[in-house]
Amino acid sequence: MGKAVGSEKLGNLYSGGKVRKRREWRGLKDTLYDYWRWLKIMKMLAGFLMHPHNLKGMFRYRWMLNYIAVPAMIDKHTVGLRGNHLKIAHEEYDLVAKDVAQLLNTAFKADKYCGNDQELSKRIVVLDENEMFTIMCGFPNLKSISWETAAVYVAVLLHGDAVTHYLDVLQEMGVPGDVCPMPAAEAGVVIDGDMPVFGACAIQCNTTCDGSLMGNGIMARAYEREGIPVFQIAAPLRHLEEGVQEYAAQEIRNAIRFIEENTGHKWDWDNYFTCMKRFNEETQHRVSWMEMSRTDFPQVIGANLALYSETTYMAIAGRVQDFLEADRRISKLAKESFERKEILVPEYRHRAIIWGVQSQYYTDFLPWLQNCWGILPLVDMLSLVYFDKVSEDDKEQAIYDIAKLYQEMIMRNRTHGGYEVLLDDLWRFCEYYNADMVILWEHISCKALDGMHGLFEERAREHGIKLIWVNHDLMDPRVIGRQAIRDDVNRYMRSVMQEEPIDPSLEILDDENAW
Amino acid sequence: MKDLKHLYYFEQLLEEADNELIREAQEAGRKCVGAICYQTPEVLMDLDDVFTVRLRAPRSGSLEMSTYYMTSFLCEYSRAILERAIEGGYNFLDAMIVPDGCTMVNRCVENMELLNTLNKEGVFYKYLEVPMKADENGLNLYVSECRTKILGALKEHFGADVSDEALKRAVERYNKVCRLITEIGNYRKEDNPRITGYEFHIICMATYVAPKDLLIDKLEETLEELKTREPDENPKYRARVVVAGSEIDDVDLIKLVEDSGALVVADRFCFGSLPGRVEIPLNDNEDILTQICRHFLYMNQCPRHMNLEKVHGRKEYIADIAKEYKADGVIFEQMKFCDPWAYEHVTGAFDLREKYGYPVLTIDRPYAVGTSGQLRTRVQAFVESVEIKKLQGGEK
Repeated sequence: MGKAVGSEKLGNLYSGGKVRKRREWRGLKDTLYDYWRWLKIMKMLAGFLMHPHNLKGMFRYRWMLNYIAVPAMIDKHTVGLRGNHLKIAHEEYDLVAKDVAQLLNTAFKADKYCGNDQELSKRIVVLDENEMFTIMCGFPNLKSISWETAAVYVAVLLHGDAVTHYLDVLQEMGVPGDVCPMPAAEAGVVIDGDMPVFGACAIQCNTTCDGSLMGNGIMARAYEREGIPVFQIAAPLRHLEEGVQEYAAQEIRNAIRFIEENTGHKWDWDNYFTCMKRFNEETQHRVSWMEMSRTDFPQVIGANLALYSETTYMAIAGRVQDFLEADRRISKLAKESFERKEILVPEYRHRAIIWGVQSQYYTDFLPWLQNCWGILPLVDMLSLVYFDKVSEDDKEQAIYDIAKLYQEMIMRNRTHGGYEVLLDDLWRFCEYYNADMVILWEHISCKALDGMHGLFEERAREHGIKLIWVNHDLMDPRVIGRQAIRDDVNRYMRSVMQEEPIDPSLEILDDENAW
Repeated sequence: MKDLKHLYYFEQLLEEADNELIREAQEAGRKCVGAICYQTPEVLMDLDDVFTVRLRAPRSGSLEMSTYYMTSFLCEYSRAILERAIEGGYNFLDAMIVPDGCTMVNRCVENMELLNTLNKEGVFYKYLEVPMKADENGLNLYVSECRTKILGALKEHFGADVSDEALKRAVERYNKVCRLITEIGNYRKEDNPRITGYEFHIICMATYVAPKDLLIDKLEETLEELKTREPDENPKYRARVVVAGSEIDDVDLIKLVEDSGALVVADRFCFGSLPGRVEIPLNDNEDILTQICRHFLYMNQCPRHMNLEKVHGRKEYIADIAKEYKADGVIFEQMKFCDPWAYEHVTGAFDLREKYGYPVLTIDRPYAVGTSGQLRTRVQAFVESVEIKKLQGGEK
């Protein structure tokens, strides 16, 4: 228990309840830094609740209760980290928390059930949870909000059981339990009357899967009832093909025109290109972190890469300067640590590519993987997105860029596009990142992934890669609990790899009731 | 009623994926293209020397191999097709042309390709990007994809004639079959129909799984026969229903529904006639391929079409046919694990009940229902509830 990496038996921190027994002791300097960051988050939460519309939202919406777990969410993703790695994690999570707080503040201010600020509402465009926000880069005076992100995506990140009620609501309507829980939960929120109502119009997109597509139908009907016009971007599925790009670009042109017509605001090219300059630099930073993961000294990996990348790439999309500044600080910290050859856990045993769709109720599985078994989650499928530079000055090309980004949204770029991007690319990445192992999330309701199950196994054998299936149900921990997820790895590591854990206290944890 | 002369013949055609008419056409030198969804327009693959069949896996048994490759969470249709392909049941195919449609069917065909399940030399696969909205932008894409991946591919691989004249001939043949099926199906509108839903299902399904032109004489004879066929004086059915939903190529499902006291008067499902056997209207003012694509795009009732006009239009379409065919209720069916219909049957049932006032039964089912007692009980209960409402003179 001290300053050194791995000096604390992390499993001893679990209490069996919602919160842990105590904060992790990381040596004086790191503990104080971590505590100071924790205090800042608490201050932000208190400030958030000072606004009457936010307080009203807190009591109006069942899903808001999960937000009291924000500090715990950050704690579980910083577990075991020291020095620069701890700072990197806080740069990421604290900024994401701040951004979500701003999102909620705007949403509740405009929401007809809370602040009911109609002038503000007329300046908001509602977007999907899993949708690129790039299209809003040309509308600097409009706000774009995805209530789904706040009600479902972030809620489960904070508290594993956050949306089980909404899943039950949808299933009571007759939708079976085998559909993806994310769109199902979003639809459940709508049916349960827990959707905040605001916005001049909404832009939906056929994002990741059939479930998401069909859930959007329920959302669209709700928007229609509330008098919110809605446009659906039908982005092509076979996104690698040249023949679909003109169609995709026209969808974007049509969507932009729809926003202009429904808000009275005109597309602003200057602002768009300013955002794209930021977006390109953010991409460069992210790629540089991932390049470090090809070496023996990765610095930004696992959940810290995945969750932050999702936010930056998709939801921020170059619109917020704070994220670029955070990226620069993270790059500086990562570079320092890389040069000093700093390590994240005491022993690196395996280098893994994380493939498939992560369990949203157990995103801190990746820190567990490295702390318990010394398996480094180098890069994950959701972070391996579109890295080409987008145009910073060509208006015609820009439309094609936006269209490409819409086609290559996180997860969508692998669940759609044919087996080449889901199956074949995996082994290419294994080679590129020098990985000897694949942790393959088997999100049981994800038909796109399930449909390649056998071929994943066959190809893994052909490539000599150790493949560990990790089953989960994305947002429903009642189906597969956290320990069951860990046991998939524990069994494989003991029986196939014949290894002992680095930190045995983490092998079996009493965390079923934890946030 | 007296048995239809050719019903047994049609039933026999459905016993095997590789039926006698396929063999006959191939012996005549024609190429066979496997299809799997309405969204690759059949008519473009039913050319002079090429014909298409929609894949089924009749008499499916164990799905163990396909379950290994795709897990048990994918719908049984996709697994049954893959299983049959692995077993070598589609080795008669010269090509597969499919849409990037629902995820499960898409994965099924990808597995077929990657596992080299089709053994003919020169066999090829094409995956079409199909629009998910019916609008002019989507139409442009559809035309482009059909031109390159269907017509272009058939010309390149088989030397098929894909000229406008050839397409016109194909539409004429297609429309002829559609007209025959529609006229046969129209007898279901009668107060005491002279054809059962089962009989119609068998006849209609045969047109999907065999070269259409080789069926025309039997279809014409059947239509003639129906003109003078006397229905039973006291019909057995107690309620008229529309069956709407996902893929049905199971010969037993409609039979089970009808054995439970209902009469299936309209079929709004894949392998059904509405809108699968609606004629393609042609004019002389527009490119023929565009007209064909427009027909298939705008008639499409797939729940994966996402714009609100389609979302509402699908329910309205079912309400319209329910009215036209004088149905007393609607049965929404969903093949287990089908994501699109998992949602659509719920919103559809809600709208049909609340907005259009129809009693609705929603069921989920396996690929092959056999003689499921559970399903039979549910349909029987539904029929009784409809019957009681009718007796009480209440709302539909």
